[in-house]
Amino acid sequence: MPVVRLYYQDLEELVGASREEIMSRLPMIGADIGKSAEEDRVDVEFFPDRPDLYSTEGVARAMRGFLGIEPGLPSYRVRPSGIVMQVERSVDLVRPIIGCAVVRGLAFSDPAIESLMDLQEDLHWGLGRNRRKVAIGVHDISRVSPPFRYLAAPPERGFVPLDFEEEMSMGEILKLHPKGKGYGHILDGFERYPLIVDAKDRVLSFPPIINGELTRVREETKDLFIDVTGTDPVVYKALNIVVSALAERGGEIESVIIRREAREIITPDLAPTKRLVNVEEANGLIGFDLTAEELALCLERMRIGARPLDDRSVEVQIPAYRADIMHSWDIFEDAAKGYGYDNLEAKLPVTVTVASRHPLERRKGEIREVMAGLGYLETMPFTLTSVKVHFDWMRRPRCGETKVLHPISELHDMVRTTILPSLLEIFALNQHHPLPQRIFAVGDVVEGGRTRTNLAAASIHSSAGFSEIRALAETVMRELAIVAEIVSSEDPAFLSGRGADLLIDGQRIGCFGELHPLVIKGFGLEQPVVGFELRVGGL
Amino acid sequence: MLSESEAKVLRAISIGHLDPKEIADLTGMKIEAVRSTADSLSENGFIHVEKTVEEAFSLTPEGELYAREGLPERRILEVIGEGMPISDLKDPSLKIGLGWLKRKGWASIERGMIVPATEAERGEDERALSMLLEGPIESSHLPKEGLLLLKGRGLVTSVTSKSWLYRATDAGRKEGSSAGITAETLTHITPELIKAGQWVGNLVSYGERTYQVRPYDVTLKAEPIFPGKRHPYQRMLDRMREIMLEMGFAEIKGEIVQSSFWNFDALFQPQDHPAREMQDTFYLDGKADIPDYSSIKSMHESGGEIGSTGWGGSWSPDVARREVLRTHTTAVTIKYLAEHTDPPVKAFSIDRAYRREAIDATHLPEFEQLEGVIMDEGATFANLLGVLKEFYSKMGFSEVRFRPGYFPYTEPSVEPEVYIDGLGWVELGGAGVFRREVTAPFGIEHPVLAWGLGVGRLAMLRLGLKDLRLLYQSDMGWLRETPLSTGI
Repeated sequence: MPVVRLYYQDLEELVGASREEIMSRLPMIGADIGKSAEEDRVDVEFFPDRPDLYSTEGVARAMRGFLGIEPGLPSYRVRPSGIVMQVERSVDLVRPIIGCAVVRGLAFSDPAIESLMDLQEDLHWGLGRNRRKVAIGVHDISRVSPPFRYLAAPPERGFVPLDFEEEMSMGEILKLHPKGKGYGHILDGFERYPLIVDAKDRVLSFPPIINGELTRVREETKDLFIDVTGTDPVVYKALNIVVSALAERGGEIESVIIRREAREIITPDLAPTKRLVNVEEANGLIGFDLTAEELALCLERMRIGARPLDDRSVEVQIPAYRADIMHSWDIFEDAAKGYGYDNLEAKLPVTVTVASRHPLERRKGEIREVMAGLGYLETMPFTLTSVKVHFDWMRRPRCGETKVLHPISELHDMVRTTILPSLLEIFALNQHHPLPQRIFAVGDVVEGGRTRTNLAAASIHSSAGFSEIRALAETVMRELAIVAEIVSSEDPAFLSGRGADLLIDGQRIGCFGELHPLVIKGFGLEQPVVGFELRVGGL
Repeated sequence: MLSESEAKVLRAISIGHLDPKEIADLTGMKIEAVRSTADSLSENGFIHVEKTVEEAFSLTPEGELYAREGLPERRILEVIGEGMPISDLKDPSLKIGLGWLKRKGWASIERGMIVPATEAERGEDERALSMLLEGPIESSHLPKEGLLLLKGRGLVTSVTSKSWLYRATDAGRKEGSSAGITAETLTHITPELIKAGQWVGNLVSYGERTYQVRPYDVTLKAEPIFPGKRHPYQRMLDRMREIMLEMGFAEIKGEIVQSSFWNFDALFQPQDHPAREMQDTFYLDGKADIPDYSSIKSMHESGGEIGSTGWGGSWSPDVARREVLRTHTTAVTIKYLAEHTDPPVKAFSIDRAYRREAIDATHLPEFEQLEGVIMDEGATFANLLGVLKEFYSKMGFSEVRFRPGYFPYTEPSVEPEVYIDGLGWVELGGAGVFRREVTAPFGIEHPVLAWGLGVGRLAMLRLGLKDLRLLYQSDMGWLRETPLSTGI
């Protein structure tokens, strides 16, 4: 989750409240406050559905409403800049969508620059799917001359990228520049790359990779040009979030004409979205009992414009920077936050229901009782294991296993089909403890893609032998009322003539015997081991 | 040279029998004979005799009557009320109290009337009386003044108790051992000794010989032994299962291998969501069968018919068919709800889920998850908070608070926090109401309250573990030595 660094002094100035007041209420709009607060700042995690909170400015805006300092819909004035962004058809394939804006009259303090940079990065992550869907460029507009052009250019086209002093071609940037190496895969398979240039063909940006050094934002920068490019209309949402945050800092927003052949749109569009919500539905979902007026007040605290139309409905205006409102329930959640989760009365439901234990769990409980009574200690090994341990070390042929496609290590490349190998691994980890050791596990296995439940037990000590494990197998089956035929086993995990299979109607449901010394050695053990495995259930 | 009886008594005393009655039982001598033998042993300096005499008092029959019913002067007071002519006091057993009544100043007699004084405090004599009702009491334990009064009125009588205590002196022990009269020590008790031995206390005579059972130092430690038992973590899981059952939930289970459809799409997880990427999820080679997906497709693309915007873009059934190891048990829950759309449903599961995480002390690729859902007509978010409070309180967390949260398939969402001594407020699990985008495609028309909990974190807290791996790759010493009582 995105972590936003909040400087107390900056935050206090933007909110107009003390840090104590802000910090004590902040979690209640949905935030995780880190434990490592410093003297002058604190790191706070916000949720992925609220990219509008990924900046100090956005947080301050929300808190001004929540603390009752400035409730209701924030309004932003957007004046036309007259600047044109000409979009060429060549970008249609590679990165078709662009939105732009100009923000003037900024005074960049350190926290303001840091907040803007962090916001950009968090939006790349949160909305932009690591720049694939959305990438944002911020430029000092005084260095370039409009109109601008957005086009796809051949990889040979060169410019000086940010943080470099010499010109590089776009192809070289993808190979050599850290950002090129980091995000170049987004452009894999394209012959021409997106580029934004000014009237004199100077490069502002090579989205989604890197800006030009030319338009670098410095402390003396007053006026910004912002470009947001991508593959999804969420581009416009990201633009709204950035410009409204800058407006909270005192910036004046100006729109840009995006011209695509004969078609023109104006960005940013900060008009709120109107919806109608039903009071009864809100009360029914949350479990409070509000009037239309009260509901409207709760929403206004969340900076949603709200006006009761009558007793039953409220007209809401959702700010253009909110990316999470899909359905009326999203609005009701905001109402609950505005009301305060800590003010909601927790009430148990009154419907009577009958509980039931799953029969398989009841069975597993019986098994644990029997095994503990026989002196066996329960273990709970991983269900993930490896082909090497599960089959090779056991001298068994591969059969019925579910392999994972991209294992994180070779220790875990499949789901177990049996449990006995895991018990031998546990013995191997516990060789420093006194013998005899007797352990069991009862749990899930996956065979042929289906979840089943097995019991396995094993005993290791100098005189572990067939009669011990045969007695165990018989006892367990007697206690569990399982009647199976016991026949000599071909299982190579056991010594020949010292291993048995358990059959029901000719189906193998288990086995037991003396583990082959090669298996024992394979697991790094040095004492005789006997083992037992039994299928005890399926879903 | 000791006489036969002296030898017997000295033997008994030197092996620890100090009381004449006990010695008489052991030797078969009369108690008087034991006492006189002991006196002669004492004269020879072989034993030391401690004789205790203590005066005690018990109630006379009259005293016992008064102890039960009250002293006559006390009873007169009860009869006369505000005042009564003396002539009306006919009962002779009461009349004898008149003198005491006046002497104690509890009443006066004025012109033939008995007039009670304002107060008649319970006296020490009355206190002593009621104490003595329990049986004889040594004089030193009775209130002195009270005892004097009772003695004067003949309500108590003195009884004297005497006791003797013998101890062998050094000379006695020496004399005893030179006369060869100490018992042989015995370590193991045989069936033969149980059947045919003559046992008195720790001594047994068998044939011609007498043995004493060797006393052990009972404070010495034994070699530890350990029972077979359930895993400490399993005990915790079982307790949680029990709690869910106590709260009226039915347990459900499902497959570990799931289609992306049930694991993600059915829960309105967009197909380009980061959690679906390869680095977080264990994908399998297989393609699963998926149910009719038209309603899911339209929900994802355009919000179906519930007034939602949906995610936009285009939804692909091929992506939904990809098999995964379930990343949460919610995959099982939503499938169950899709198959049980009639309210009420209260279901839970405690099972393993899988995430593609590199193993370290606090991250594992598989872990237990507890999950509960309630689907019911009129169920509210406030009900969810009520259920959570109850659940956590049963888990031993009396203080619970709620903070807004975010989960992709719930709205509203909440993060419960519990207060733990020494740690403060700790986030424990997540909860919320299933989004309409999740429930509507399956025809689930009532709110679904849901919450879930990664159990491993709680286990670390409760079992005092620093490393989650210990739960699964257990140290036998830890398993053996962790007592049953540890955990919830």
